[in-house]
This record gives sequence, structure tokens and C-alpha cells, in this order.
Amino acid sequence: MADPNELTPNELTMDELRERIRVAGITVAEHRLAMVRRLLADALAPVRALDSRTIRTVEPAVKFVPEAKGDSRE
Amino acid sequence: MSDDIAYATIRELGTRYRKREISPVEVTRTLLERIEKLDPILHAFVTLTADRALEDARDAEVALRRGDESPLLGIPIAHKDIYLTRGIRTTGGSALFADWVPDEDSTVVRRWREAGTVMLGKLITHEFAFGIQFPGHRFPPARNPWNVDHIPGGSSSGSGAALAAGLTVGSLGSDTGGSIRGPAAFCGIAGLKPTYGRVSRAGVVTLSWTLDHTGPMARSAEDCAFMLQALAGHDPADPASAREPVPDYLAGLEGGVKGLRVGVVRDYFFEQVEAETVAAFERALGELGRLGATVRDVTIPSIHATPSFMVIMLTEAFSYHERDLRERPELYGEVLREKLMAGGLFRADEYVQAQRLRAQIREDTARALQTVDVLITPTVLGPAPAFKLVHDPDFPFAKSNMGPFNISGLPTLAIPTGFSSSGLPLSMQISGRPFDEATVLRTGHAYQRATDWHRRRPPVSA
Repeated sequence: MADPNELTPNELTMDELRERIRVAGITVAEHRLAMVRRLLADALAPVRALDSRTIRTVEPAVKFVPEAKGDSRE
Repeated sequence: MSDDIAYATIRELGTRYRKREISPVEVTRTLLERIEKLDPILHAFVTLTADRALEDARDAEVALRRGDESPLLGIPIAHKDIYLTRGIRTTGGSALFADWVPDEDSTVVRRWREAGTVMLGKLITHEFAFGIQFPGHRFPPARNPWNVDHIPGGSSSGSGAALAAGLTVGSLGSDTGGSIRGPAAFCGIAGLKPTYGRVSRAGVVTLSWTLDHTGPMARSAEDCAFMLQALAGHDPADPASAREPVPDYLAGLEGGVKGLRVGVVRDYFFEQVEAETVAAFERALGELGRLGATVRDVTIPSIHATPSFMVIMLTEAFSYHERDLRERPELYGEVLREKLMAGGLFRADEYVQAQRLRAQIREDTARALQTVDVLITPTVLGPAPAFKLVHDPDFPFAKSNMGPFNISGLPTLAIPTGFSSSGLPLSMQISGRPFDEATVLRTGHAYQRATDWHRRRPPVSA
């Protein structure tokens, strides 16, 4: 289990986790907090590392359309 | 004889039915006997519908006598237990739905029924297609036929176990972060996650609207092609369903891979992958090269943002389960409950940024596929782990090689590439352009014509 004192700047502190739980009005068992913190921290790592200015034109939508294939064999 | 029937392909069964060498009722009885013998060990089935199966088989015999040409006529199948089945309980692998009997079929259950399949029953799923069953759960977990002390993968755990053990010929799975391909990899079978929108999700218990895919699981790429044919197509009941025409997936299946351009993404997909898996993967690439494909490395610059898909999945799962989590939390497995609760802890801006990262990964993957026809990567990091490992409540999610293709929505087929020194299956995944399942299946079929990994049988089936 990771030591909560050894966090990189983008990681989630236990205090922040507790605050999020309070705001959401949900209950997480005390002995599961470390697991939940790791789950959130791993998922959020790319989001927190993102400088949103670098993807200003990217919209949160994905289109699924067939792309031109032709006969792509060499 | 029993094994030959149990492991017959769809093509073989169809041919033998029409030559009157064997009947759907005989095949169904054989599988029901195998289920009776092996399922107490494997726990693949949560509900067995023997009477319904024999009724379906008799109907198939009548249809065969009248000359019905449907390739799925009389083919025994079973459904992951998140697919709604009219008059048959649909548990979602959860105590919450343990006694729920829907009054309608999901669209794809109906499509397979109309194609003449024989429904054997419902297959156990990880709880709500997400949480592994811990000891004491209402439903015991399925076990891996290659080694019953190991997990079969999930969440389509019963589907993987039943196919590997020769208890069914085909199955419906679902795949939000790898739940078709993971069990396929761990059980040595084939699993196809079609393009997002290709196969209807209507009447399927939701995990994440953005990432959920439905699709077939079978023992070969060819069988997946047969099964997809009867599943694919627009469904007005699914808001995400695509209107793209459905091609004939069998027509080009024998076309081989001569001249096919294969891309390998070396970044990300090989991190933490065990040496035996990499070695089997490289041998598979070599085999494809020998068959005439050209192999080159390609890149997906944003691929390291993949873990953000968990923000999307957990947030959407929390949205689906919120009321029950708050009002009846005791009906969820403890570890699953806390993971679902975690989905309520993300902020709105984080969810939106994760969706934007998804769009970026999707775009970068599409760019990679402009220079190659398929991407091939290791499906999972290694062979199936043991129960004693994953039953540690703090066991973390493994880095996902499958998540990138839920993010991108691209069709992806997992097939076996060999075995570990411990005798457990290894696997690769083949991904193609949107709605190009045909090329993905053709690649997998070409590899399987040249290899026999998919024809090996696990010790529990003996």
C-alpha cells in the first residue's frame, strides 16, 4: 500500500478524498479508503496531467464512421 | 464422441445437421449432460434452461427438415446474465437482481432466437459486469477450465469458462473495459468486441453508456463471424446503434492476409507484459508475416492517457446505480460497492476532460490506422491470475491493454497465441477501423488456419 505521505503533485491526498466523500454525501468504509484513493488517483492521473489549453479544439464527442478503406493492401 | 460434438464448430454442426448425421436434439442432450457433469466444478451457468433448450432444438429439427438454411439453426448458445431474457431470470450476477424475471428479451437475444439458436441458459457474470465475486457472494464465481484455481477473467466469466469447457458453442458477452476479450484471453477462446454501435445494447444491463459494447464469444474467429452476422445491424431501441450496412462477414473470411498491413503499437501496450506473453505475441506476428502480411511499428501519441477511461466508466456506473447504492447498499458486494461509490467522487470537469482525452485517443488511433489495416497488441499482461491473488480486496486494477479499444470504439478480436509454461492460454488482440470487423475476422481466421491453439482442450473437459 502506498504511503500517503509520498505523493506526487498530481496525486490525490487522503484529505482531498475525504472532502470529496463529504461533498458527494456517500459513505466509504474506513478500511476501503486507501483502495478508493488509489482508484481515483490512477484514473485522474492523465486528467490532472492534461493542460487543457493544448487540446482547445478537442470536443468531448466521438463520431464512429467507416473510414475510407478502398483496397488498402500493398 | 461427446468431445467431438462439444467442440464442433458452427460450420461442422451445420454440415452434419444437413447431412442428417446428427440432430440438434442429440447435440443439445450431449451438452446438457456435459453441463450436468462439469458445471458443479466450473460454476459457469447461473440458470440452466434445459427444457427451453430441448424445445428450441426440436423446433430447429423441424426447420431443418423444411430446408431452412440459417447457419445458426440448431446451434447451442448461452447468454451472459446481463442480457434480458423474457420469462427467465436475469441476475446481473447480483443479489439486487437475483430474482428478477424480465418480461422482454434484449434485442440481440431475440435476434439469435430468430436465427434458430438453441438457448442452453444464462451464464454467470461478474457482479453487474464489474465486480468479481468474493467468497460468500450470492453467486459463486466461474472457474477457469485450464486450471480451476485460476479466474476465467471477467466480466463475461461464465461465457469464457463454458466455451473453453465445451459446454456451449457460442455466447453473448459484453465489453466495457475488456469483458469479452479478457475471458477470451484467459480461457483460450475467441471474443469479438465489435465497433461501438454495430451490435445493439438494448435490453442489456448498463455499466457505462459510453464504453459498453456487446458482442459474440466463441472458440474461433470463424464462429465469431457466424454469430456476429446474426447480431449486427441497426436497432432503433439503442440510441447509439449505427445505421451502417452490415456486410457478409463470411464472404471474405478465407481471403488470407497476403499484403495486409499490420501495425504494432510498442509504446504502452508492452509495459508490464510478461515475457511469455511477449514471446508468443512475437511468434504470432512472425506467423502472420509468413502468411504474407507486412508488419511495422506505429504510434498512438495520446495512448498513455488510457487510464482516464476509468473516470468515464466509474462516473457513468455510479449514475446508473446511485439510488440502489444509497438505499440498498447491503445488496452489493462490499468491494464492488466501494468501487461504484468511487464513481460519485469525480467532478464534472474531470468527467468532461476524460471524454476529451477519449476523443484525442480516438483521433490518434484513427491516424495510426490510416497507414495500416489492423493493429495487433497483446490482449492482457499475462495468463489468468489465481483466485487467491484477486481475492485480496486491495488487488488493484491491472493496467489495461483492452481499454484503449473501448475508448476508441474500434472492432477488436482476441484470439489465443499459445500457452504459458504453467499451461494457461495466452492471447493477442486484432483491432481494425470502424465497422471493419470483416478485416479483423479475416486476419484472425488466417492465423487460426495456420495454428491450432484454438483447438486445444483444457484438462477439465476430459
